[in-house]
Amino acid sequence: MKRSAAEIIREYGPFEGVEAVHGVTYDGSHVWFASGDKLNAVDPDSGKVARSIDVAAHAGTAFDGRHLFQIAEDRIQKIDAASGKVLSTIPAPGGGGDSGLAWAEGSLWVGEYRERRIHQVDPESGKVLRTIESKRFVTGVTWVDGELWHGTWENEESDIRRIDPATGKVLEQLDLPAGTGVSGLESDGGDRFFCGGGTNGNVRAVRRPRRG
Amino acid sequence: MESLITAAARALEAGDPLGALNRVALRNDAPSLALRGIAMAQLGDLAKAKSLLRNAARAFGPREAVARARCVVAQAEIALVSRDLSWPDRTLAAARTTLEKHGDLANAAHARHIAARRLLLLGHIEEAESMLAGPGRFPLPPASQVVRELVLAGIAIRRLRSEDARAALARAARAARQAGIPALAAEVEGASRVLDTPTARLITRGEERPLLLAEVEQLATSEVLVVDTFHHSVRRRGTVVPLGTRPVLFALVRILAQAWPADVSRQTLIAGAFHARHLDESHRARLRVEIGRLRTKLKPLADVNATKQGFALAPRRTRDILVLARPVDEKHANVLALLSDGEPWSSSALALALGTSPRTVQRALDELARSNKVQCFGHGRARRWMTPPVPGFPTGLLLPTPLLKT
Repeated sequence: MKRSAAEIIREYGPFEGVEAVHGVTYDGSHVWFASGDKLNAVDPDSGKVARSIDVAAHAGTAFDGRHLFQIAEDRIQKIDAASGKVLSTIPAPGGGGDSGLAWAEGSLWVGEYRERRIHQVDPESGKVLRTIESKRFVTGVTWVDGELWHGTWENEESDIRRIDPATGKVLEQLDLPAGTGVSGLESDGGDRFFCGGGTNGNVRAVRRPRRG
Repeated sequence: MESLITAAARALEAGDPLGALNRVALRNDAPSLALRGIAMAQLGDLAKAKSLLRNAARAFGPREAVARARCVVAQAEIALVSRDLSWPDRTLAAARTTLEKHGDLANAAHARHIAARRLLLLGHIEEAESMLAGPGRFPLPPASQVVRELVLAGIAIRRLRSEDARAALARAARAARQAGIPALAAEVEGASRVLDTPTARLITRGEERPLLLAEVEQLATSEVLVVDTFHHSVRRRGTVVPLGTRPVLFALVRILAQAWPADVSRQTLIAGAFHARHLDESHRARLRVEIGRLRTKLKPLADVNATKQGFALAPRRTRDILVLARPVDEKHANVLALLSDGEPWSSSALALALGTSPRTVQRALDELARSNKVQCFGHGRARRWMTPPVPGFPTGLLLPTPLLKT
């Protein structure tokens, strides 16, 4: 396993009226984050909130190209990104113990925080297709270039780690500075991760290690 | 972090404990237990809240130190509000250190306030003050600010510094408006009334009148000789003769001061100071001895002159003597003063706060109960005592909602 210190490229926020960040996703131009009763779209260049949707947003956030998915209480809401309307909901696999959310390969991937596992879920029915065990409390989840990454937050320590989707084995680990939380994680498809700072209400950009 | 926990915590912060319970009522994981405990505390079921928080602290793994420490702080606050003063303060101090170390300064400050309120209640004013002065000055959330200012006001009132108390209460009122919590604003208002209600009685030349805190304070700089029944001392300006450990001497000087400038007969002195009904030669001998002792003690402030029928006080360098007494001169006034905060107390907590034995307190409570001045409920160790709050007595400080974020 490769282990290194996470390189924080940039910090966004604090944002007005935002106490904590619960989920993070990226739609190709804006970073979306969940702040309890709102989804907020941040321009990653200016760092300003461009737009907000009033919707219950208590944990993970994901984007499938057209829709935003957002965990609220014990369900996953499918939201039209253009209108902000909730189109449908499915039950969340952790029954409310859910934290991170990602969209990849036609499935939703849901982190179940204290159970230390990640579920692959059918986005139409909510059916659990398979479950990957992790070693630590799971917060945000993301897929990039066929790599499964997730954030951890346990014992006031956080890291971002790549795990083997088949075995759950940790392949690579980026440690965040002590006292820094990771809530919500999303790759921009390039060399950046966006992650929520949890109760400090910030969003951070962290460099993704280069391959090769 | 977890969806439903976030939703429940948000409901709790918005003052909706039932909404919080709806979300986590059936869950038994550690964060749910903690949230349920706080919701129950807000709803007033302190017994249930206590056991839920205890279970939550246990259920958080040993590595979840911060979450655990927050549960301990909430437990300590519930203990304080239920006047369970024997709750281990070392456990609270350890939790505070953990929170400080992990940067949870808001909850660390909250823990500090709880400790200070407990010390204030026990009468350890100096320690309460240094507890508040502890490190980590940073902008507190408004609700926390209110508590801090109320404790400062409590300290100032007990030190008879009415201006400081007024200033602290004004800051508390401002912060309470900012916090937007009506119960907090009401608490501040209640505490402010103390300053405009007589806190003492002044007895001089056989006459009595009520005194405000500010007037009591002025006595400290005036030229009069004060016989202070609050502190069991005799003083004029900076010169203080403490008689706290000499009850007989204090009783004598008080009787003499109340009669001044007239003298007091031996018979009255013996009856008042020795609680003796019939006089005999041994009482007269004892009175002579005690007056001798009093003379020695009072030397810097006054003389005790023998008269034809008894004794009279002769103050030095002042032409006035007065007695500062409690608003209601009552047997067991100290017990009643504590109970008048309207909270249920255990007899052991009263004993701890008064620094006397549980037996003594029990006797006082039984006596007060017979005259319907106090009431009790519960049995055995769970028995609690209270009185309906008497207007004008300082109310207890405050139960804020625990600032617990999961």
